[in-house]
Amino acid sequence: MKTDRRKEHKFILRLSIIACLLFLTGCWGKREVEDLAPLLGIGFDQGEKPGTFLVTEQFARPKKDSSSGAEIEDRTFSVEASSSREAFEKFSKVAYRTPFMGSLKVIIIGEDFAKSGDFNNVLDFAQRYAEFRRSMYIVLAKGKALDLLNLKLRSGLLPAMAIKSNIEGGDEISVFPTVRLGHYLTILGEKSTAPIFPVVESVKTGEGVEYKTDVKDEAGEIRIQGAGVMRGDYLADFLTDEESKGYMWLENDVVHRLINTVDLEENSIKFGGQVIESSTKYKVKANNDKMELQYKIKTSIAIDEIMGLKKQLSGPEWVELVKQAEKDFAKVIEKECNSSIKKERELGLDFLGIGRHIEQKNSKYWKTIRDQWEAEIADFPISLEVLVTIHHSGMSSSSATNSGGEGQE
Amino acid sequence: MERISSHQFVVLSSAVLMGTTFLPIASIVTEVASRDGWMSVMPGFAVGIPYSLMVLSLLEQHPQKNLLQISEILLGKWISKITGVLYIFITCYFGGLLLGQAGDIYQSSIMPLTPIGMFYLGGILLVFYLVKSGIEVFSRFSEILFPLIIIALVLNMGLSISRMEQGELLPILSEGIKPVIWGGLKVAPFAMEYILFLAGILVFLPTGKRELAQLKRGVWRGVFLVGFLNMMVVLTQILIFGPEETVRIVYGLLVLGKMVEISRTVAGVESVFLGAWLGALIIKVGAFFFTVTWGLETVFNLKGLKWNLGVGVVFMGIAFKFTRGPDLVMEIGLVDNYLILPFASVWILTLWGISRWKGAGIS
Repeated sequence: MKTDRRKEHKFILRLSIIACLLFLTGCWGKREVEDLAPLLGIGFDQGEKPGTFLVTEQFARPKKDSSSGAEIEDRTFSVEASSSREAFEKFSKVAYRTPFMGSLKVIIIGEDFAKSGDFNNVLDFAQRYAEFRRSMYIVLAKGKALDLLNLKLRSGLLPAMAIKSNIEGGDEISVFPTVRLGHYLTILGEKSTAPIFPVVESVKTGEGVEYKTDVKDEAGEIRIQGAGVMRGDYLADFLTDEESKGYMWLENDVVHRLINTVDLEENSIKFGGQVIESSTKYKVKANNDKMELQYKIKTSIAIDEIMGLKKQLSGPEWVELVKQAEKDFAKVIEKECNSSIKKERELGLDFLGIGRHIEQKNSKYWKTIRDQWEAEIADFPISLEVLVTIHHSGMSSSSATNSGGEGQE
Repeated sequence: MERISSHQFVVLSSAVLMGTTFLPIASIVTEVASRDGWMSVMPGFAVGIPYSLMVLSLLEQHPQKNLLQISEILLGKWISKITGVLYIFITCYFGGLLLGQAGDIYQSSIMPLTPIGMFYLGGILLVFYLVKSGIEVFSRFSEILFPLIIIALVLNMGLSISRMEQGELLPILSEGIKPVIWGGLKVAPFAMEYILFLAGILVFLPTGKRELAQLKRGVWRGVFLVGFLNMMVVLTQILIFGPEETVRIVYGLLVLGKMVEISRTVAGVESVFLGAWLGALIIKVGAFFFTVTWGLETVFNLKGLKWNLGVGVVFMGIAFKFTRGPDLVMEIGLVDNYLILPFASVWILTLWGISRWKGAGIS
């Protein structure tokens, strides 16, 4: 009897081991790493035929003679297709490797394609197919996504990797929004808020930056500047650099910022500095029988640069100068925020998420205005309070000045 | 007769109660209660406490008898037979569906090209071996695996904190308390699934006065632990995805696992989490396999290897019937809401009521 039981156990054990072997080796549908083509970037542009789009895919090809094994070469294709799956089928016919989507870093939407709509249809594949991760970035291209992905950058980086690096280093300057696929889908769910994306553009020499180039009229650098605001599936408009900066303050997205008061006309002394930390809070309050959204921005800045200072300062003068800097920085921040609010009112699109803020703080009131919210945006009262604290003025109290004479007032 | 200790009972109960509830729960409660869905979780699981205490009080009165045997004493032979058949049918059908879920989860998330039958086969072989080894081995298996399941859950949630969106939980209770209560009702079937297992495991539990007190305390602890963990899962998903997305995503925690990045370097750790959660699924399917075998033994006196093999084949058959993912998810919901919840709640309440009434009559 006991021997029978033991045999039974052995039989079951063997079966389990066979099952484990089948599973754990991952034999089914196995794909060796060297047979995969890791996808880094994907771009969408308007197709020539109606109902199609031009898909550009940037794959990485590991360098064979690379010493570190981490160097990659470019392998970029473009095809016209009416769905993402069709595009991948066309790529697969050309590429000898299987596309691997888990490595995708950035989705680039071309300007014309974004303006024509169909935005969410092309993103459906990325949010549905299990290989993709929702942590990938989405950006809008000034011009065509195809052109951006085919750039030969002076840094030697592939454009998709350069965009990724720029975005991930963005916290240092906090001048454009960072949008991952997951964040975009969450914002879509909010309904009252208009999604916003950072804008990537190629930069030729002379377009704000000078550099030496071998090929004339060909861009060798890329830049992320400004943002695009969506109305549903369509790109409604672009935000300027200043409007994007205002968005960053109001969204509490400023981590560090490089800021200056050069554009303020009323003062002869100009300041430059770095935001050390910042926080934006908001309240919804009744003001004269009408609801109002009150923003309060508190930020700490370190002065790194003072221009126009022509004399050595005494201790009390130094203190006064720092107080003046606080006021000036606050004015700059207010200006940026106001230009962003102005744009929101002009467009009638709530990219600042003001409706959502009202809902969070006073849901009862929100229910009374949510149906006509787009009309309300134009004149909904918003107030702004900016408090700047200067923590230090760098390594000097005064600037270096001449001892007097010619050129010195 | 095998016996399990109070500690083993607590861990096994928690593991069975937990099962893979953390995968669909956020979508279920958020659909009903939107961003307040997380508040429904604890009350929903708490429904399990009075029911567990009722079952344990029945055990106190009828030591070393499972609930089907107690039914025969209290309700008579025929009613108890009908109840027993229903019990076997529900637990067998649900166990098969859960086995199917193993295939659905793995195929839709990390192994899309592996034939779905291999997941069923691998799962059922593991379950079969555990069932064959007995309840004590099954308890020890849970004791080892349950902490790993919790660690995987906590890590997944902890590593996702950086993805949280500002203010997604606000406003709180903007639609009132009603949706929260409805959400709780959607969670209650999870507790009832556990009650069905508890109904069968009674014969293996110690019945001393001290041990019974420990079992009761254990039930409280298990329910709160599982309820709290599930509440945190729902909170995390609402905070990261927002309510609309939370409802839309079939297995939110798997999507979350795919978003985990450590220092922008390490990614793709979802397979590690899935490994631990496979254990959770095996425990749950194993628990239902046990309940079917106990039911067959009690009602029809059918036991032994060939009947166990038969149950395994039926489980596989049910899983193969639902290879279409959306059908499977819908069916699990239907069985939970319209079979397990009413059956368990009415059965236990009736038995407990009759037992109290008879007890009062005798005294």
